[in-house]
Amino acid sequence: MVGAFVALAAALGIGQAALDAAASQQTVEAPRFEVDPLWPKPLPNHWVLGMTIGVGVDNRDHVFIVHRQNTLQQTEAGLVADPPVSECCAPAPPVLEFDPDGNLVNAWGGPGEGYVWPESNHGITIDHKDNVWIGGNGNPDSHILKFTHDGRFLLQIGEPRRGSQPNSNSLEHFGRVAKIAFDAAANEAYIADGYGNKRVAVLDMDNGRIKRFWGAYGNPPKDTTMSAYNPDAPLVRHFRTPVHCADPSNDGLVYVCDRPNNRLQVFRKDGTFVKEVQIAPRTLGDGSTWDVAFSRDPQQKYMYLADGKNMKVYVMDRQSLTVLTSFGDGGRQPGQFFAVHSIATDSRGNIYTTETYEGRRVQKFVFKGVGRVTTANQGVVWPGR
Amino acid sequence: MRRHSWIPAALLAALFVTLGAGRALRGGSGQAAQAPAFEVDPLWPRPMPNHWLLGSAVGVAVDARDHVFVVHLTNSFNARTEIGAASDPPTGECCRPAPAVLEFDPDGNLVRQWGGPGNGYAWPSANHGIAIDPQGNIWIGGSAGTDTHMLKFSADGRFLQQIGRVAPPPPPAPSQGSAAGDTAGGGRGGRGGGRGAAAQPPPVVPPDSRSTAQFGGAASVSFDASTREAFVADGYRNRRIAVVDMTTGAITRFFGAYGAAPDDAPTPPYNPDSPAPRVIVDGRPVGPQFGTPVTCAELSRDGMLYVCDRSNNRIQVFQKNGTFVKEATIAPRTRGQGAVWDIAFSRDPEQRYLYVADGSNMKVHIVDRQSLNVLTSFGDGGRQPGQFLAVHSVATDSRGNLYTTETYEGKRVQKFLFKGIAPVTRQNSGVLWPTRR
Repeated sequence: MVGAFVALAAALGIGQAALDAAASQQTVEAPRFEVDPLWPKPLPNHWVLGMTIGVGVDNRDHVFIVHRQNTLQQTEAGLVADPPVSECCAPAPPVLEFDPDGNLVNAWGGPGEGYVWPESNHGITIDHKDNVWIGGNGNPDSHILKFTHDGRFLLQIGEPRRGSQPNSNSLEHFGRVAKIAFDAAANEAYIADGYGNKRVAVLDMDNGRIKRFWGAYGNPPKDTTMSAYNPDAPLVRHFRTPVHCADPSNDGLVYVCDRPNNRLQVFRKDGTFVKEVQIAPRTLGDGSTWDVAFSRDPQQKYMYLADGKNMKVYVMDRQSLTVLTSFGDGGRQPGQFFAVHSIATDSRGNIYTTETYEGRRVQKFVFKGVGRVTTANQGVVWPGR
Repeated sequence: MRRHSWIPAALLAALFVTLGAGRALRGGSGQAAQAPAFEVDPLWPRPMPNHWLLGSAVGVAVDARDHVFVVHLTNSFNARTEIGAASDPPTGECCRPAPAVLEFDPDGNLVRQWGGPGNGYAWPSANHGIAIDPQGNIWIGGSAGTDTHMLKFSADGRFLQQIGRVAPPPPPAPSQGSAAGDTAGGGRGGRGGGRGAAAQPPPVVPPDSRSTAQFGGAASVSFDASTREAFVADGYRNRRIAVVDMTTGAITRFFGAYGAAPDDAPTPPYNPDSPAPRVIVDGRPVGPQFGTPVTCAELSRDGMLYVCDRSNNRIQVFQKNGTFVKEATIAPRTRGQGAVWDIAFSRDPEQRYLYVADGSNMKVHIVDRQSLNVLTSFGDGGRQPGQFLAVHSVATDSRGNLYTTETYEGKRVQKFLFKGIAPVTRQNSGVLWPTRR
């Protein structure tokens, strides 16, 4: 048994245990966090969350999440069976808004007049005008929806129901959008496009017109079918699906999650490739680079990277792209993760995460200032007793 | 935009009444009822080492030192998304199934782990329930269609005894289209053709609630130190309580609902609008029989046996000799998997209270043990501390604290701190969180 673990550790490359042991001696200056096990407050109406696949924070530090109602089974959602089989539970509406104290203050979303709700909603972000943007990664999903802060429909961008065939050069529609992020000064939205397409697309935020797009290394995107990621092969010249985040920083760079390649690529806003880094490069399958958020200091000195495969969050130096430390581990307790999928920060520097698959949570990690922390994984960051 | 309006209070109230929850708050003689108060400990247990994960957690027990034992299903993980470190080759740094049996000290530190196949015994296909006998030994049942025995181990996991015959190995796969044969009796056998495909599970062992040789999916067990008897909730296919001589491991007697002889005839799904009528023979009730599964058989200090007839939302109480005493239904509108999943006693000398785990309604009912009245309840659905997804098992420690485990995708053990006896103010207290520091 012990032998098997050693073999596993060795197989994960680099003798992770030995590295951790050495690293635990070393410390570094980095933001520190502590999970708030009692955030948010319990939902009313026996509402429960399905796969929770997006989180965004507005300019009042209200936290928006989006989750998938249709991922709940009868063992969880017996109240909505016909007839009800139990007193609990019912799917919460897809979009939930919490105040900073974790109180649910609004709930909306789902099909309505004048737009197509995605088959599988994915990603939620709030722009500088307080509007809410949602993508979708269901097989046919090929559009983006824009709502007011309280859920009034504003704009449908991209022709819907065209997602089953990727077309990374389309100006008419997207290919299963993962996430939307904003450049307020330029009035542009950056689209991680996506689960079908292999590109970053940039939109005019008012009329939704696609202004430009690019693939890996800033090249024109190609919808090439690729074999599975091989950690021993040279880096591929294309994004793999899903392209899962595309977040502009305030100094004019764009950070793109090339998820199954375990890769972040950095671009200028015009699509010029700047640099790249791999994180946990031995990771297979879902990959390690799921979502990024920036620290809230003026320089956005740090970047937080959600890794839903290795069940942790990396704290990175944004300029050098080096991992300073990380926190989290697998599990269902506070501060543990099952497939941490999305990440966002509020004005006080707190981190919010959501978990997909059977994680189905939103968690808050309270910013505890910058200080010395181990360069190894910190494990579960619990408050002191 | 179609706004999701909040569910109107009146509708919620109607649902509440419909589901039969309006029985709490009823104290004796008009006074406010008193009941134990609890508060979840959101940071118990401590995180496990080695990127170990808990799977569907289907049993919890507390020993004489207040160590908490948990048994979980090590094969309940999603290989692609959840246990990448156990793949070949590994797909990620996390996670791995923890060993099947985990022992935590009162502070929540994992102090020992064991379980799984070994020499001299057959580990159940789906281990189910964990109990600690008066000698401090550990008993484990099995709920899979092929599980017909129980296992007894020392506290540190040394195999001691097999109780009940292990099901014979499944016969060779019959050719396509052949009859299900004698291994698929009781109307439960075949899902039709296709047997012989690699992924096909072995045939279900048919129920036999009158067997003295084997069990039919033993769910849990409790013990009578004075007579050295074990009471087995039997189970997932059988519909009986089986009584075992703890010295020899022999099944010495058994009984069904109302203390009558058990009957393996299938029963229709529980329907709250037309519940099966009582069957009276010679002036005594003999039915309706237990549904499956029968999931608990807990013996109180004053010699009463409390049985979970889960799918019928029913608790039946017996004397140790199987004489029926009384029954009660909990949340009688509950369908499907039912409301009565497991029972633990409060730790006061009189064991005044029963704690009933209700994995369908995602709560724990607090019941007056003598009257079987529901006093109050706590919990709600969700993945946060103090919430539940299918709370499956419940146990208490010497300080009156309560431990729960959750099955399906709940996959947790939680601790609820006993905060003394307090007046009942609400039918359901919801999520019992500590006050903010």
